[in-house]
Amino acid sequence: MTASDMAYARPPRASAAREFGSSVVTIMVKELRSRMRGRRAFIVLTVYLAILALITYGVYVIVAPNARGITGGGFGGGGFGGQANASALIGQSIFTLLSIFQLILISFIAPAFTAGQISVEREKQTLDLLISTPMRPSAIVIGKLAAALAFVVLMIVAAIPITAIVLMYGGASVDDIIRQQLVLLATALVLGAIGLFYSALLKRTQAATVLTYVTLLALTLGTAMLFIFWTVVANQTEDGFGAGPQKRAPELLMYMNPGIAMLDVVSNTEPGGFGGISGMLAQLRGNAPNLNGEVECQGNVCRPVDQFGNPVDGVAESGSGYWWPRISLTFVAVAAVLTLAATRLVIPAGMRWAFRRPNRPIGPAPAPALSGDVADESAPTIVELNQESER
Amino acid sequence: MITGTPVVETRGLVKRYGDHLAVAGVDLLVGPGEIYGLVGPNGAGKTTTMKILATLLAPSAGEAYVTGIPVGGDPLEVRRRIGYMPDFYGVYDDLRVWEYLDFFARCYGVPANRRGPMINELLEIVGLTDKRDGYVESMSRGMRQRLCLAHTLVHDPALLILDEPASGLDPRARVELREILRELRSMGKTILISSHILPELGEMCTGVAIIDRGRVLRSGSIDEIERSLRATALLRVDLLGDEAAVTAAREWLGTDPRIADVLGGTTGSDGAVRIEASFDGPPEAQADLLRGMVGAGHRVVGFSQATSDLEEIFLKVTGQSDEEAAA
Repeated sequence: MTASDMAYARPPRASAAREFGSSVVTIMVKELRSRMRGRRAFIVLTVYLAILALITYGVYVIVAPNARGITGGGFGGGGFGGQANASALIGQSIFTLLSIFQLILISFIAPAFTAGQISVEREKQTLDLLISTPMRPSAIVIGKLAAALAFVVLMIVAAIPITAIVLMYGGASVDDIIRQQLVLLATALVLGAIGLFYSALLKRTQAATVLTYVTLLALTLGTAMLFIFWTVVANQTEDGFGAGPQKRAPELLMYMNPGIAMLDVVSNTEPGGFGGISGMLAQLRGNAPNLNGEVECQGNVCRPVDQFGNPVDGVAESGSGYWWPRISLTFVAVAAVLTLAATRLVIPAGMRWAFRRPNRPIGPAPAPALSGDVADESAPTIVELNQESER
Repeated sequence: MITGTPVVETRGLVKRYGDHLAVAGVDLLVGPGEIYGLVGPNGAGKTTTMKILATLLAPSAGEAYVTGIPVGGDPLEVRRRIGYMPDFYGVYDDLRVWEYLDFFARCYGVPANRRGPMINELLEIVGLTDKRDGYVESMSRGMRQRLCLAHTLVHDPALLILDEPASGLDPRARVELREILRELRSMGKTILISSHILPELGEMCTGVAIIDRGRVLRSGSIDEIERSLRATALLRVDLLGDEAAVTAAREWLGTDPRIADVLGGTTGSDGAVRIEASFDGPPEAQADLLRGMVGAGHRVVGFSQATSDLEEIFLKVTGQSDEEAAA
């Protein structure tokens, strides 16, 4: 055995899982170092929280006098619990608007952080240096996604205290806030993964960013409009209006719509939700008899009713909370698929098969030591021994 | 002769892009501790060959091994053994110099307690110690080149693959780079380096392969290549005498079967007439020729071989391949 053979011996290495974990951390540390440096991150976070605080204050200023008027006056409630209802209405209003605005802001911010992550490395010609390291491509992609999400998660979590103001008024509970957080996180995850996927797919950051936002619009406004259009067209083919069962577009269309998930969360607040959102969501599922149908809600449970207020039979009762778990789970699944796809796009073409089984030579047998090696031929080199033991 | 496992070995390496053959059967053999140069004009297939060895491209055919490990079979293990510097690369502008090296050290799984001292050591080798806390952004091209070179060393690889490391550098930076490479060689690294300029590599390489159109035209040490080309050397003969004597000498030379053609007849300032003849034969044959010429009564005052510098060798070799391609 020569000295040079010794030098080629494989050093003892950590387990694959630990190696993977430390690669992810490596990427995260580097990304966060450059991202959190300077004032940019600080300013983005401050502006984000300021907007949310302003919205909260604005809603309070607008809703508070009206709420006291509605619930305090002789309108149904009378003196009975009027003050408490007014407070709950304020809380619900704040929670609803805060949740929706937060969703909108996160929807625009999350993809912006990821849509350039791989394409910028291509543009600046740093990708080759990165992927010629022994880090697994999946660790690189996941590390980049995690680094981008880390900041978004910071933004989401930092806004909890503002959202928690609603606990003072009532109308939304801690559970509601947790649901809101879950939807926001799932949305950030899937939009981040979409941005990352386009970033890996396309050479230019600009193109990746544009496509990401186009996808965002398609998922939110696009699916909603398609749903309405589909439903209308489906019903127009019927001879009579209102005759026969109401037809709907498949509800699967809505499984990728973060807006619906958030509306579902805010409609879940006691009592009966805000502004008839529950009724709207029930219509999406076809639990309302027709598009103009009414839904009667008691607490978290809504029942479709006909125009006379009588319950409609044969249609399942819909509680709120139908949509957000389904949509969130869909988001997580789609994010996983897109991350996997991005990983494949990062691996150099033609090398994909080599990464399937870790650390196992599956190519042709290693080259035998060439000429001049006669003295050593009886003893296998460490390299050969290692390869032997791995087979 | 190479002892032990060759650090780089390729056999019949082929890379095809559609109809275009970027690499058309390259065989390389680089032993431990060598500085091996890949020389060829732009587009000859040097970068493609290096990318295959760096596991960034899959070959269309053929085999490539780094320290005996198949490049396609275990790319992650190969990557631990090589430091790769591409021909065009960027650096992360928004990192400090030490952070940049720290990042790559982490990428290669260098333990935390070794990273700090190692970074200082590398910065010393490439002469960037005083830039340790500066931003990469603020560095000149030559400094970035040296930083990139330092990044290839963070995991103490056996092989460095440097693709055109000197391109775009000013003469001073080139000299500095050469010094660094010498130092690395003394540290026992094997270096595969490419250039489109042969003289740039000539002084420091233990071996070169001249590549054009995806094929290795010549390989071996620079001396070997020079010798093989000297087979068709250009002889310069200075003669005294009048026109008739010169004509006689030219005719005498023309009768020798090893002389392809005789040119010139220019009169120098010292009154000697210089004729040039392309001669196909080793130095011993040249000596025989001279003896014969003097014996035949020609008044030879100068007899020399036109010194072929490296540039000339390179042009000659690649020129031959042009002729072959045209034929």
